[in-house]
Amino acid sequence: MSLLVARGLTVSATIAGKTVQALRELDFALAPGRMMGLVGESGAGKSMIGRTIAQVLPPGFRVSGGSLTFDGRDLVTMDARSRRDLLGKDIAFIPQEPLSALNPVFTIGQQIDEHLARLGVCDRGERRERALAMFDAVHLPHGADLLTKYPHQLSGGMCQRVLIAMAFASRPRLVVADEPTTALDVTIQARIVQLIREMQEKSGTAVVFITHDLKLAAQICDEILVLYAGRPVERGPARTVFASPTHPYTRCLQLANPNLSGPRRALHSLPEQMPGLLGQLALDGCRFAPRCPLVEDACRRAEPPTVVTGADHAAACLRAASTASIAAPAIGTVPAGTGSGGPLVTVDAVTKRYALGGGFLSSRRHFDAVKGVSLAIARNEFVGVVGESGSGKSTLAKLIVGLETPTAGSIVMGGRDVTDGSRLARQARLDTVQMVFQDPQSALNPRRRVASIVTQAMEAGARATTWDERLARARELLREIGLPPETATRYPSQLSGGQRQRVNIARALCTTPKVLVADEIVSGLDVSVQAQLLNLLLRLRDEFGFSMLFISHDLSVVRYLCSRVLVMWRGEVVETGPTETVFANPQHPYTRMLLAAVPPDDPAAAWNPLDEVERLTA
Amino acid sequence: MHLGIVKMIGRRILIALPILGVVSVLLFVVLRLLPVDPAAMSMAPNATLEEIAAKRIEMGLDRSLPEQYAIWIGRVLQGDFGTSSHFRRPVIGLVVETLPQTIELVALGIVVATVLGLAGGLWMFHVRGTYQEPVVDFGSTLLMSIPEFLWALFFILLFGVALELLPFVGRLSATYSRPNATGFLLFDALAVGRIDIFLDALRHMVLPALALGIAFAPSIMRVLRSSLLDVYHEDYIHQARLRGIPERTLLTRHALKNAILPTLSLMGVQFGFMFGGTLLVEVIYSYPGMGNLMVDAVRNADLPIIQAVGLTYAAIVLVINTVVDALYLVLNPKLRAAA
Amino acid sequence: MSAAAASAMRILPAWMRSGRVIIGLLIVATVVACALFAPWLAPHDPEEQDLLAQLLPPFWQSGADPLYPLGTDALGRCVLSRLIWGARVAMTVAVIAAFGAMILGAILAHVAGYLGGAVDWTISRAVDVWMSFPPVVLSLILMTGLGAGVRNVILAIILVDWTRFCRVLRSEVLVIARKDYVAAARLVGFSHTRTLLREVLPATVPLLITLLSIEMAVAVIVEAILSYVGMSVEANIPAWGQMIADARREIHHAPWGLVLPILAILITVLGFNLLGDGLRRTLDVRLNQTREG
Repeated sequence: MSLLVARGLTVSATIAGKTVQALRELDFALAPGRMMGLVGESGAGKSMIGRTIAQVLPPGFRVSGGSLTFDGRDLVTMDARSRRDLLGKDIAFIPQEPLSALNPVFTIGQQIDEHLARLGVCDRGERRERALAMFDAVHLPHGADLLTKYPHQLSGGMCQRVLIAMAFASRPRLVVADEPTTALDVTIQARIVQLIREMQEKSGTAVVFITHDLKLAAQICDEILVLYAGRPVERGPARTVFASPTHPYTRCLQLANPNLSGPRRALHSLPEQMPGLLGQLALDGCRFAPRCPLVEDACRRAEPPTVVTGADHAAACLRAASTASIAAPAIGTVPAGTGSGGPLVTVDAVTKRYALGGGFLSSRRHFDAVKGVSLAIARNEFVGVVGESGSGKSTLAKLIVGLETPTAGSIVMGGRDVTDGSRLARQARLDTVQMVFQDPQSALNPRRRVASIVTQAMEAGARATTWDERLARARELLREIGLPPETATRYPSQLSGGQRQRVNIARALCTTPKVLVADEIVSGLDVSVQAQLLNLLLRLRDEFGFSMLFISHDLSVVRYLCSRVLVMWRGEVVETGPTETVFANPQHPYTRMLLAAVPPDDPAAAWNPLDEVERLTA
Repeated sequence: MHLGIVKMIGRRILIALPILGVVSVLLFVVLRLLPVDPAAMSMAPNATLEEIAAKRIEMGLDRSLPEQYAIWIGRVLQGDFGTSSHFRRPVIGLVVETLPQTIELVALGIVVATVLGLAGGLWMFHVRGTYQEPVVDFGSTLLMSIPEFLWALFFILLFGVALELLPFVGRLSATYSRPNATGFLLFDALAVGRIDIFLDALRHMVLPALALGIAFAPSIMRVLRSSLLDVYHEDYIHQARLRGIPERTLLTRHALKNAILPTLSLMGVQFGFMFGGTLLVEVIYSYPGMGNLMVDAVRNADLPIIQAVGLTYAAIVLVINTVVDALYLVLNPKLRAAA
Repeated sequence: MSAAAASAMRILPAWMRSGRVIIGLLIVATVVACALFAPWLAPHDPEEQDLLAQLLPPFWQSGADPLYPLGTDALGRCVLSRLIWGARVAMTVAVIAAFGAMILGAILAHVAGYLGGAVDWTISRAVDVWMSFPPVVLSLILMTGLGAGVRNVILAIILVDWTRFCRVLRSEVLVIARKDYVAAARLVGFSHTRTLLREVLPATVPLLITLLSIEMAVAVIVEAILSYVGMSVEANIPAWGQMIADARREIHHAPWGLVLPILAILITVLGFNLLGDGLRRTLDVRLNQTREG
């Protein structure tokens, strides 16, 4: 018998006087001890399922149809008290942001103690014993110390282990993990995912694993349910869904992700983006139809029925049989830069040192965010910088564009050292380099229109420019980055995340710089939008010819875009070389660990993330 | 942990002392702008010009401003604030007499403000999203618009004149003579076992303390309400709810302890201001505290008193800030680790 | 409401649709009108004493004189006329002092928050020194040094209350200066001045306006306090605080004499606070964004 069963589950809200559906006729059945991956992009409604299980829907949202039963009891109609009795005991949750999911004013010990007391462990000493045993189970060392620590004294990975320990403390029958690794570094992600799988197998718990990463879901889950715009589009055994998807969306999602091994293939980029809650109202037929490469007239007329396409495998598509025809061809390696005329930017032994603390009662300490880094960027060359948080890659970007001043070393552009802070140095930088920021929300002034943002450089120039001139230039730039001209008069808040990032890029391109410094510019975006932007960058290079320093934590994206790569670890470049060579034959233990942390392209292959690099280097 | 707090208080005091120094310089300079002659003010009206000139030299008024300051601050550090030109008494005695009265009044005011503020804040949070919310919101804006001296006058009209419930002049009824020991009247009355004096003194304090407390409560209410709203948007509240923790425990245990932090730092600033609020309230109630002394001094251009009382106010505010910072540190593990 | 009216409402900016802003503006406009047109509105010369008509009650009580709708004070002066003329002092002080404090505080806050480092340290410590005085005490001390008079009241309020603006705005500027769009402006070649004026300032303007409105309320109160203790305007100019002080002496014979100026202050302060509150709710971009996002 199934543990968690959804039958025609529909969640609605009323927005601007219209009834919209965040989840639409969701059907699934999760058997005890099984792990189901819930895959979709942001806004697909995947987090809504977790919220529906706990009945903590956002204000205005309600279950408007169907049922959701846990062990035969309907979670929707159940009274609040009985549902609360289930929570934390029979149904537990693992959150997305471990650092903010623990109460900052209580110690880890107090929070675990409260939870165990609720589970009915009456004796204080016994609760302490249990807590220490829980830490052992999730491989957290120094348990006794940990009890007296506050959440902010722990790393994100450790907090997540604590939360996993709490979730499994009661041997619950169902655990809902909502993007439990998104906020963590790659190497820690791998360990956390494996820990959840391990705990799940040990206690025979059923898990709903919510993620945007199809490959990850295929690797660790038993079955997969793909959501698109609130609608389940495909479900089936994990490996089958990944190996031979029968819904065009699943297929496109798979092909939008760059691969880390094998021949480099083109990215399939879907046009536009997933419709929002209000946008869905305009669609009569399949919600994927406007973006679907296989669309035909019938798709637009009515919602497609769910058809069985294999053993336990079903897709809501009229053209399920033709899905395999969507393909992305293999393309060669990334072209290297041209050496003629010498490098555009040369960074030589640059160090950035920050003072830490430093009052008169505490001794002055310091910390090198970047330590003796050297690199050169050739004409038309895309150089990748990979590393985890704290590796110094963002500081390196700021040093190059001039937002930070190096403590030692030199940065040469246009034949002169630009680190002296003089007016000429500033001009040399302006002529050579521009930066694209990570978070378009913060990088675009919400009070400026798009046209004003992308042509901001013209405002700074010595020559006064008229608004008409700027509008004309803005239209030109928008066309180049693939946005409709009417975007020019919009405000950033009226654009989607992907559109904002395009505007962000357009601003940097306005003065046709020779080098772009791009800091994690695709990390906040959905896979399909990420693919669009990566292809855009490649096209723009062909058209204008510029170089780029591309900073990312995502190795496969770097492989798709960059001919050369630098691996940074604790402020230093530990390995550098042509991307294909470095990834195929990594020399430094840290590079090996980074590569091992990525789930293999083939979900059937074994995935063995390596332990922390300290142990490897010791 | 305790070491961290001691260190932090040490650091606060190290910051506070130079501030107090700058304050003393400012006080000195501002009051030197005054077009009155401190020497003439300090003498009997029938003094001759020669006598005044001699006094000027004695007081060091013929020297440069930095020298005058050095002389003055040197004496202040020995507890000598000079002689009041109006009362013809050493200023330090006047301050020592009035300060305890004001401290008692403010202490009571703080109690009223805290109780009303926290209770009101919880209630405002409780009615969020209901039809009562806009009414309560408007009410809080209205309360915010009534400064303490208007409350003081209003209470006189209501409880003193119309209902004749409570006295509104002075510190003690004329039938009693005040016991003398520490200067803190409530404390002294209890110390000599005179419950009747204690109660009479307390009755005289009810209206002024209420006026102070009620004037400072609304901002506390609002900050508590908005911090609670902020905290309820945090992940850890959501996550605790998902662990099956009842709403009541969520509020009293998980949310309140976080929301109290911003409320506390506001209260620190507010209670410093409350000492300023006593000024007019004391005048209105003819309450023999430091505020009354200050206003008298200002009216009579009695420089030594203004300087002494000004410095005392600054010192009190710095003490309150230090205490609040220490409390904040005790309640906030994040800062405690940094200290 | 008709559809046309509804769509017209939608065109209005959000702040003009807020009930608080509308009520606040109405109150403020009334008081300002009293201040501007006092000579024409007031039925009597506010200083004219009618010693035969002392302490007359207002019109709703028996024994009232229709010549003096709100009664007279102990010297037989018309309370209504004095209230209207009192608005003049209150508004002059409120508007000029609040703008002055805003300009001083905002400039220092922007410089401190944007430049950081030693400049920020110096300005922040100056604020600390100022904040170690309760504002009322500081303004009394300043008034002692400066002497009485409307000009000095204004100056004292500016010198005391710039810290209110500086403290709040500085932390706002710190938040905005950390935004990537400020860095981006520098990178496309903006000078510091241009960045501050074109990128930072527009973002702080909503807060600035809100604080300005609230500061006007504070200035009205401070002026009333100072004139209550006789440290504000000269005795021959009517001010609300002074009226309260005069009426306090007659509290047992004529309590309404106390009630009326109290009400005048209360309503004026309420008007500014409602306006400030409404503006804060509707102009606060961050607040609105988090609600949408």
